[in-house]
Amino acid sequence: MKNPAREKFLPLLSPYVDGELTPEERQQVDQHLQLNKESAAQVADFRAGDGLMRNALEMQADDVDWKQFTDDVMARITPEKLPLFERLKLTFSELFTYQRGPMVAGLVGAVAAVAIAIPLTLSIAGRAPEGYGAGKVEVQTVSVDTEAAVKPVVFETESGDAVIWVVDAPEKKDGGRKKGGGSDEEDVAPTPPDEAKKQDL
Amino acid sequence: MTTFTRRWLLSAALLAAPVALADGPVSVQADVVFASTTPGKVDPSLVKMQETLAAKVKYLTLEKRSSEKLAVTNKGITVSLPNGKAAALSLEGLKDGVATLRVKLPPADATYSLAKDKSFYLQGGAHEGGELWLVLSQPR
Repeated sequence: MKNPAREKFLPLLSPYVDGELTPEERQQVDQHLQLNKESAAQVADFRAGDGLMRNALEMQADDVDWKQFTDDVMARITPEKLPLFERLKLTFSELFTYQRGPMVAGLVGAVAAVAIAIPLTLSIAGRAPEGYGAGKVEVQTVSVDTEAAVKPVVFETESGDAVIWVVDAPEKKDGGRKKGGGSDEEDVAPTPPDEAKKQDL
Repeated sequence: MTTFTRRWLLSAALLAAPVALADGPVSVQADVVFASTTPGKVDPSLVKMQETLAAKVKYLTLEKRSSEKLAVTNKGITVSLPNGKAAALSLEGLKDGVATLRVKLPPADATYSLAKDKSFYLQGGAHEGGELWLVLSQPR
């Protein structure tokens, strides 16, 4: 004798065992199984068959050495490499998330180092070498040999350079001179260019 | 190294430092330049010298005959000129960052203070129809 309910639910029993039904269908099948022992027995048979098949497959799988298979698969897997910007972003994100204290301290230290280094470097670069602290060359003393018939002519330029010309002084036979030393330095008037040139040449 | 030794070495270094600094040396660029009023070539690096000396003589030839960087101390150092003369440079003193140099280039004998980016020109006598100049400046 045919059971119309069983006829209706028969196609759903296998998907029920495989977990392929919707929750609503599953609930309807559950109610049907409580009322129909024949369908319940069939579901039990399905489950028993699945268990046997699972056990058989597991036994076959145990006979195979999967170690090499795993190694081969892992060797073929290459992790997806993110673009540089993304990697940097990720790195900084992780650093600021998990290493916030050391990162902030490091950044503060770096900023302080830069703040000190830049003025120091500029100061060193702009500083005059040892001994060159003056703004212009200043001739302090100048003299010539007492026997020489020449006289020095000091010429300090507006740009800060200094020139000492040694020009003939036929009238001078009494030795040298010192600037600011009470001698005849004040007599050392710049010789006219043409005259100096003639005297030396 | 014991603590005593370390202290002794530190003290010695601290005491020796001012002495070492007082002796210099001071770096000086010494160039010997041949100058002539005869038309010729002017070394591009000597254009400033030409302009400076133009107030007295318009040199039309300026050639660098020698160029050396000297470390001048109070013990002195000599620069030879191609006309047989020799210039003796010595450090007279170093005060407040300004060094005073003595330059003896017969028949002249001068002392002057160095200045940043400035030059000191001293006539060094006749040579080959022209004149030699000793140019002392800050090393480049």
